[in-house]
Amino acid sequence: MRPYRADLHIHSILSPCAALEMAPAAIISNAKKRGLDMIALSDHNSTLNCEVTVALGREAGISVLRAAEVTSAEEVHSLVILPDENAMLGFQKWLERHSTHAPHDPEIFGYQLVVDVHENIVAEIDHFLTAALDASLEEVGAAAHSLGGLFIPAHIDRQSFSITSQLGFIPEELFVDAVEVVGGMTDLLYPVVRNSDAHMPEHIGRRFTTYMLENPSFEELALALRGEKGRHIISVTP
Amino acid sequence: MKVTEMVERLSLTVFAGHDGLGRIVEGGYTSDLLSDVMGHADAGSVWVTLQTHRNVMAIASLRDLAAVIISSGEKPGNETIEQSNEDGIPLLGTTLSTYEITGKLYSITG
Repeated sequence: MRPYRADLHIHSILSPCAALEMAPAAIISNAKKRGLDMIALSDHNSTLNCEVTVALGREAGISVLRAAEVTSAEEVHSLVILPDENAMLGFQKWLERHSTHAPHDPEIFGYQLVVDVHENIVAEIDHFLTAALDASLEEVGAAAHSLGGLFIPAHIDRQSFSITSQLGFIPEELFVDAVEVVGGMTDLLYPVVRNSDAHMPEHIGRRFTTYMLENPSFEELALALRGEKGRHIISVTP
Repeated sequence: MKVTEMVERLSLTVFAGHDGLGRIVEGGYTSDLLSDVMGHADAGSVWVTLQTHRNVMAIASLRDLAAVIISSGEKPGNETIEQSNEDGIPLLGTTLSTYEITGKLYSITG
């Protein structure tokens, strides 16, 4: 076992708010440059660029986890990280079922592009992906867990789109695998992780978390969040 | 004005918290950010919101609010209803938008 650096919150050009430079290949090369061992691609309410990024990561020797940053009906953002391609496909269906199909104008919100490994555009999503789903935060967590995924409320110390801004506090009954913070708050009842929430290449790895793992994989990450079998969170970047 | 009188004048639905219908309405507060309500709503206010999460009742209780009105015909879940009954703070509803119900509430409390 050794320490591995992971940044589990990165947006690609599928997210309307991300820079057009955030193509999967650029994400991988910047992650490599920053010395990251593992990343998760977490676009708003969609996993459609994950497989391409996984494939490019494999070639470059970077572990890529399949994820999405989900907007619940309360407008709380949470990271959902899926164990494998099948679970991701199941979650993608769930996301599409709960979409409210909010109208989208790329001139205002930005382009939402699905690409292949050669950066050809294979689809442009025509509804606003970041809009709230018609599923409650509890339902998002339940959907993640039913597919064996991890459920991590995002940037909980931010004043917008966070569990604390929208709901005031973390409901006691809500089962979370960890919470993501942006600032220095680490003294919490839950495992705490930090990630970049990168929307442009130079932000990749600006915040990350170091984990003690056997290898950089979903299974090992899940063990580390639970503090099992010697796996654990070593540190979060200040 | 008691909550029960406000319910009548604004034609509100009572979802739960009947024990609290005698509470006194001192004013109103409109917000969908629970963190904002937690920090700023005055005791005795009626809170108008679209949010239906059970945390709504926890915050209504914390701030000692007179009642909660859920706008635009949104429906609270069972957990929110249970919490309202437990806390004795009425959970009310209207099909009017947040804008319309806030205007009407202001005109009878202002």
